[in-house]
Amino acid sequence: MAVQVAAASRSEPSSALPLLAPAYLWLTVAIFLPLSAMVFFSFMTDLPLSGKPWAFTLENYAAFFSQSLYLTLLVASLRLGLEVTLWCIFIGYPAAYVLAKVLKGRSREAIFLLVILPFWSNGLVRIFSWAMVLREGGILDTALNAVLPFKINIDLMYSYPAVIIGLVHSYVPYMVLTCYLTLQAIDDSLIEAGRSLGASRLQVLKRVIIPLSMPGLVAGAALIFVPVVGSFMEPRILGGRTGTFYGTVIEDQFVAVFNWPLGAALSFILLAVVLVILAVASPVLRRAT
Amino acid sequence: MATTRVLEWLGRLYVWLLLAFLYVPIIIMALMSFNVSPFYQLPFEWTTEWYASLWQNDQLISATWNSVEIAVITTIICVLLGSAASLALYRYEFRGKKFLQVLLFPPIAIPWLITGTAMLIFFFGVGIGRGLFAILLGHVALALPYVIVVVSARLQTFAPELEEAARSLGANQWQVTNRVTLPWIMPGVIAGGLFAFAVSFDQFVVSYFLSTPGQTTLPVEIYAAIRKGFTPEINAVSTIIIVVSMALMLLTARFFKFGGEK
Amino acid sequence: MRMPDLTALLTAAAVFTSALAFAAKADEVHVLNWKGYGADEPWAIEAFEKATGNKVVNDFFNSEQEMLTKLRTNPGLYDVVMINAAFNDQAMAEKLIQPIDTSKLPNYADISKDKAGSPMLVHDGKVYGVPWVWGLTALAINEKSFDKPPTSIAEMWDPAHKGRVTIRDDAVEAVQFGAIATGQNINDIKDMEAVKAKLTSLMPQIKTFWSSENDWNQMAASNQIDIGTYWSGSADRAKTHFKLPVALVIPQEGAVAWLDAFSIPVGSKNVAGAEAFINYMIDPKFYVEWVTKVGAPVSANTKAVEALPGDAFNRKVMGDPAVAKRIQFQAPITDAQREAYLSLWQQLKVDVK
Repeated sequence: MAVQVAAASRSEPSSALPLLAPAYLWLTVAIFLPLSAMVFFSFMTDLPLSGKPWAFTLENYAAFFSQSLYLTLLVASLRLGLEVTLWCIFIGYPAAYVLAKVLKGRSREAIFLLVILPFWSNGLVRIFSWAMVLREGGILDTALNAVLPFKINIDLMYSYPAVIIGLVHSYVPYMVLTCYLTLQAIDDSLIEAGRSLGASRLQVLKRVIIPLSMPGLVAGAALIFVPVVGSFMEPRILGGRTGTFYGTVIEDQFVAVFNWPLGAALSFILLAVVLVILAVASPVLRRAT
Repeated sequence: MATTRVLEWLGRLYVWLLLAFLYVPIIIMALMSFNVSPFYQLPFEWTTEWYASLWQNDQLISATWNSVEIAVITTIICVLLGSAASLALYRYEFRGKKFLQVLLFPPIAIPWLITGTAMLIFFFGVGIGRGLFAILLGHVALALPYVIVVVSARLQTFAPELEEAARSLGANQWQVTNRVTLPWIMPGVIAGGLFAFAVSFDQFVVSYFLSTPGQTTLPVEIYAAIRKGFTPEINAVSTIIIVVSMALMLLTARFFKFGGEK
Repeated sequence: MRMPDLTALLTAAAVFTSALAFAAKADEVHVLNWKGYGADEPWAIEAFEKATGNKVVNDFFNSEQEMLTKLRTNPGLYDVVMINAAFNDQAMAEKLIQPIDTSKLPNYADISKDKAGSPMLVHDGKVYGVPWVWGLTALAINEKSFDKPPTSIAEMWDPAHKGRVTIRDDAVEAVQFGAIATGQNINDIKDMEAVKAKLTSLMPQIKTFWSSENDWNQMAASNQIDIGTYWSGSADRAKTHFKLPVALVIPQEGAVAWLDAFSIPVGSKNVAGAEAFINYMIDPKFYVEWVTKVGAPVSANTKAVEALPGDAFNRKVMGDPAVAKRIQFQAPITDAQREAYLSLWQQLKVDVK
């Protein structure tokens, strides 16, 4: 009977409506409709707001293909997103595991919260603080030279590594959290059963833990990869001469030249590329386990 | 067993190292709020003048309060709406479900700059205008997808048999949700709420477009200040916020369990 | 997740926010300007409010484009707006600003004639902008890195400063700087290829692109740069107010000059208050206090500059007739030019990546 009830509830879209409607209604008013207006603008020669005559055009999308610089930057941004995501997995997943499976009780709750807290500080102030650490004669440089017997020059500021460090710092809590949520849900007895059946730690990790925590890993990766590809603040401030990315040229179109149609077209191309990547990646990730 | 203990010890050490990494800029930020030089110049010279001048800075203080209020309301709304939507997406099969899930990504993927501009134009066009209400509208919309993604990730670990078992014991839909499902997803809901708060509290771009004179938020004030008159007052206010929220969080941690019951 | 709770909450949220909503009142003067740019100094606002009974409400922008957008999307909200003269024409053409009755501004008579009569601010005999201050985008040096200040713009290309040069992340400014470096008129660049070649060879020298005064000062304070483009008023403020080892250099090749002016937006609800505010902003008393307390660009009011001490930077250096000969004032730029400059600038930044 239980199965029947469940089957019934799983095919009852009408009861899904009251649960879904508030969230999606809100999203529609505050995001989807405004963005649709933006889609509309991306096909215009000029903004109606600017008081100039305008017409429909495909030129804004054509611009992406006619100038090699956009493609170059998009590839650079995708690479940046991938690297930051991988670093976040590499750094965040083990921490999430320890948090979920090793630490117990109060200390776990406290550390869980401590991981989130830096998030609540202002992003710009955080970036400025990193600048202070990474620059020549900065804190890292001074500290290392005080400890090491030989003289080294550490000047990571205004470089690609600085951008990576700043972004990983900003996004690694996402990974710790989403992975923690799924890791914590894994029953310890499953892991013990695997071990008692003679599986090595690595085998248990590969066959039990990683597959079961995959939803968290995928969610975390998406929440990191997607915004990083379009980021512009961290690259601009920390990257210096090397800090030009796809997000920064979109920002320029909006802020510096007021060419919203082109800026919008560039961001929708970005959105399309990101969605294709997610669509291709998520079944691959799921099958891989 | 000895290996297990060594591994556990290494694990703890690792988590503390991660925390150290996460807190490097926070500590610097706090230190610089006590440094004389407004340009983070060393050597360090102790002062409390930035805290004193912060006290005089009504604009910064009122912006901070606006930020706190908006972030709290955003969090509450997002948690309610987001959990409901995640439950529906998990529990029911219907046509267009995949589409609804994909729809969560544009708000995350499109740079906030574009979303902010789009909101400005649209709100202007339909008469919502700018101001704190518009900012709240925008913040909830930005944070909702995060909450839904996070809660859904937690829900995927949920065993539907549990719900079915409860039903077979005569529990109605509301009881099932309330007694079985909600406790299970609670850690996800709390994590989602913390995310929503962070997204709103640190949200600069959208607030920036939607704020009006007198109705701004802290990040907007900070960004405007950085252009010309950056002072460590900003560090001071950020430090106070971190210290207060740390105290609140640790206090909450004493009374709440985030691990979820098993 | 019951619906009544949700509705109650939403209502509560709406009430909360609408309680904070506000409307412009008649005795308020809403001013749109850069942050930290004179008009929002607390002592100045206090003095003005005491003298006129108007209340000042400041709002800020971060780029000229954004200022125009704010004017377009908030008709009737602002009473005073600060517009770079090169954008005055566009704002007028879009009917965002209205003619100003200068007879209501007693201090207007003391504005230097060449600035007051600028064709950028006066259209069909009507005044659309009251000149406020002007300044230069020139070079500034970190005094720790130089025994004696350089005189030529070529210093930026000196291999000795490799990786210690900075330039603002702004396409128009970069291209105009390139025009000066190649001996061209910034408002009529004939040889764009020369500008591009010159800037291309500058890129490897660069440490980072600055975008705010704070960036520059932080880099100078931590001794990360030797030389870079900088605004005259900011360089002066860095030196006198923040005591940083920064000095302005107006190279022999010239520098870009800009003129900032106040305008009254169309639909202002308090034109009288706006006139009083603008008059106060060009008053010598306000100006001297601004220069002394904070550091400021050069006033367009001749009486105000004369009120400064004889050795003041804004009087001695900026008032030097030899300097006046070298500088070129920025003229309006078309959207097409701006777009072309940006694409050149972006290409340069990508190539150096």
